[in-house]
Amino acid sequence: MTTAARPSPIAWLIAPAGLLFVLFFVLPFAVMTAMSFYSGNPVTNPNAFLTTRHYERFIFDTAGIFHEALWSTLRIGLITTVVSLLIGYPLAHWMARMQSRLGHALVLMAVIAPMLTGIVVRTFAWMTILQDKGVINTTLIQWGLIEKPLPLMYNEFGTIVALVHIYVPFMVLTLTGVIGRIDERLEQAARSLGAGRLRAFVEVTLPLSLPGILAGSLLVFALSISAYVTPSLMGGTDVLTLPMLIAQQVGTSFNPNFAGALGVILLLVSLAIVVAYNRILARLAGGQGMA
Amino acid sequence: MSATPNRRPFDAGRAAYLTLNALLLAFLLLPIAIVLVFALNPTPYISFPPVGVSLRWFEKFFGSAEFMNALWLSLWVASVVLVLSIVIGAACALALSRGNLPGRAALTAFFMSPLMVPAILTGLALFQAYLLSGIGRPVWGLIAAHTLVAVPYVIRTTLAVLHNFDRRIEEAAAVLGASPVRVFFEVTLPLIRPGVFAGGVFAFIVSFDQFPVSLFLVVPKGETLPVVLFNYMKFDLDGAIAAASMVSILLALSVVLVLERLIGLKAYVKL
Repeated sequence: MTTAARPSPIAWLIAPAGLLFVLFFVLPFAVMTAMSFYSGNPVTNPNAFLTTRHYERFIFDTAGIFHEALWSTLRIGLITTVVSLLIGYPLAHWMARMQSRLGHALVLMAVIAPMLTGIVVRTFAWMTILQDKGVINTTLIQWGLIEKPLPLMYNEFGTIVALVHIYVPFMVLTLTGVIGRIDERLEQAARSLGAGRLRAFVEVTLPLSLPGILAGSLLVFALSISAYVTPSLMGGTDVLTLPMLIAQQVGTSFNPNFAGALGVILLLVSLAIVVAYNRILARLAGGQGMA
Repeated sequence: MSATPNRRPFDAGRAAYLTLNALLLAFLLLPIAIVLVFALNPTPYISFPPVGVSLRWFEKFFGSAEFMNALWLSLWVASVVLVLSIVIGAACALALSRGNLPGRAALTAFFMSPLMVPAILTGLALFQAYLLSGIGRPVWGLIAAHTLVAVPYVIRTTLAVLHNFDRRIEEAAAVLGASPVRVFFEVTLPLIRPGVFAGGVFAFIVSFDQFPVSLFLVVPKGETLPVVLFNYMKFDLDGAIAAASMVSILLALSVVLVLERLIGLKAYVKL
């Protein structure tokens, strides 16, 4: 009883995870940050010097592509988030209010199954649907509705469709938890007082689920601004996002220092989002405790 | 006496609500079903509607040395990651929940953070670290990277189980004279096993389907399946990709079923 505040011997079990995280998580991110302030590889090149030129290159953007890349990353993230919310909310509401346990389990399976299918595979699925000879264009041409295939892919539209499909389950799962905790009797009370079903939803359930909307949106936004596979396969030459730029700097330009600077910038953007996300979740949990 | 909700024979609002949700479910599931259609469709490139059923793409996939090497590498890496992350993750979860550690909430958040940091940046940071330390891009480096992003899942599922079970069971065993070691192996371990195991299966999937963390860490001719598929898809869209996708999907679906049987889906979807 007196040792309640002191770590017990079981605490040592944290050591392997601690070692793994220090060596393969904390140190590498420190290395990446340090690299972003060097002109070259400081280990192999004795002439490498400290510099802020990689950040200046991004900020002044004489090539005129970096700001555009940052902007399209954020724009694609934002549109993906809004559409995921519009699609995810009805599903989450349905799931949260479902009486039948079996129905609930089936819908949950349907939401989770795509999550367990790799991103590369799901992007491939959308390529087969949206390309010029894909499912949609072929069908529309056969029905005589269009003459030439619609440009559904190799642009921002296709990128966003696939991203929404990939990230909507995260939105649904976040929202279901929050909507499920809203007392259904509140809505019933509003209706018995004369509000229509729509009005009861808009004035009671919707405002109460706002924390879930925020948390889910931030999660989907954070995930979609760091997506690489989908924009690079679905975006064609039309789309250039920050993660694509990073891969380019590593793969084709072999400029790991500039890639590091771009990485730090992307990291700062997503950390800001994560902090906001945790704040909202904490407030959610706090409000839950008081209710 | 309240009226039953279904007193009207037809409820237009309800019908619209259900139709909308059915459409949204179709949006989620149809793309995956379509992959199956293309995997079985014999035409040389992706075309619609399908003209028949054949296994030629599965033959091409299983007959290609490039795909098979990648598949075996992925399975091998994922298996090692499964074992490593079970051991490391379960130990870490036990320490977090039973170790009386100071700053437990912060530590838990720290061990969850690989899920919040963009995965492509984890890959980039590890690439830079391996580059600077001059170790190149060995397979164990890839395994360590995958383990890092898989361990949080094991920690999460194990913590969920630890949180739910009655600590008095352990205390009772101790009171009855069992040593701490015996309590651990005969009471605690069997109780947390479903959580650990579910997390492990999750870890396997995370590694097997991993792309962004692998991208910068694989060497030519030593690429994992998702990287090979990605590179292939940049130039070619044929049924071999669909067949490879089907193999991955079937693997994932069997894992869902295993998870459902082991722990129930609800326990690990809490975000």
